[in-house]
Amino acid sequence: MRQLIFILFMLITNVSGAAESESFVARVIDSNNERVPEHTVAPTYPRKARRDRIEGEVRVCFEIDRQGRPRRVAVRNSTNRTFEKPSIKAVKASTFRPLKKNEPVPQIKACRTFIFTLQPLDEDEHQAEPGT
Amino acid sequence: MDKRLLLLAIMLCAAIEAFADSTSESKTVIGPSNIDLYDGANALMAGNAEDGVPLTLQGLKTAQDQREKKIGHANLCAGYLLLGQAKTALGHCNWVLDLDPYHWRTYNNRALVYLRLGRLEESEADIKRGQELNPRSETLKEVKGIYLDEVAPVEEKIIIDDRRNEPLTPVEKPE
Repeated sequence: MRQLIFILFMLITNVSGAAESESFVARVIDSNNERVPEHTVAPTYPRKARRDRIEGEVRVCFEIDRQGRPRRVAVRNSTNRTFEKPSIKAVKASTFRPLKKNEPVPQIKACRTFIFTLQPLDEDEHQAEPGT
Repeated sequence: MDKRLLLLAIMLCAAIEAFADSTSESKTVIGPSNIDLYDGANALMAGNAEDGVPLTLQGLKTAQDQREKKIGHANLCAGYLLLGQAKTALGHCNWVLDLDPYHWRTYNNRALVYLRLGRLEESEADIKRGQELNPRSETLKEVKGIYLDEVAPVEEKIIIDDRRNEPLTPVEKPE
């Protein structure tokens, strides 16, 4: 699949996080987005959602100006409103590589989907954790 | 104090019976009828179990009725747990629930006591019972969260997927 060819990398921890508790983050980049991400901020997992074991998905679409800043950020769809605010915040804090002077602005609206999941912690890891 | 214990303490303070508030509803009594219970509750709500527990014990000695006793024991349950004396706390929680099996705050507190004692099934049962009595309680939701972190810990994972873009409509074209 063409898309899969262009998956550049899966970052495990190298995404800037606004989170207090660092979320385990995987990032997928696709070439269909002609604007190259420069600084990607991960959203914070909402504390109450984590507490209540709520998972969800938010798709945020936005334009990117010549300087690489997201503009007109809006939620396209989401499974739970709890996740919308941190997703918008994360997109607004992210940047893309600026365009060169003669480079045309791509006629495409960028969209970013955030998938918030909770995965069972490895049993051994949990046992080894101090104070538990 | 580690983070978990601090959270526990906050939960307990939120679940302490506000003696002052309940007595102020009376039209015939000006101020709290049992000053030690009142001061004890305030100290516990401030997270000060060192002062709150002795004051509450003193207040229990002069308790006028079952209601005051119930409040005293409920607060002692929370207070002793704050002091790290879970077994003593359990006795006070049990006292209250024997008298009043519909006291959701005590189910909340006893669930935390059981958690501290590693009695997870009993903790879960108390959370469930408490939520049946007060389904909207945020305090009980917090305790349930602590319980779940004990029995089924999870880690957060956020996947950022940039693959699906969409074309701009004419009006949305950037300048």
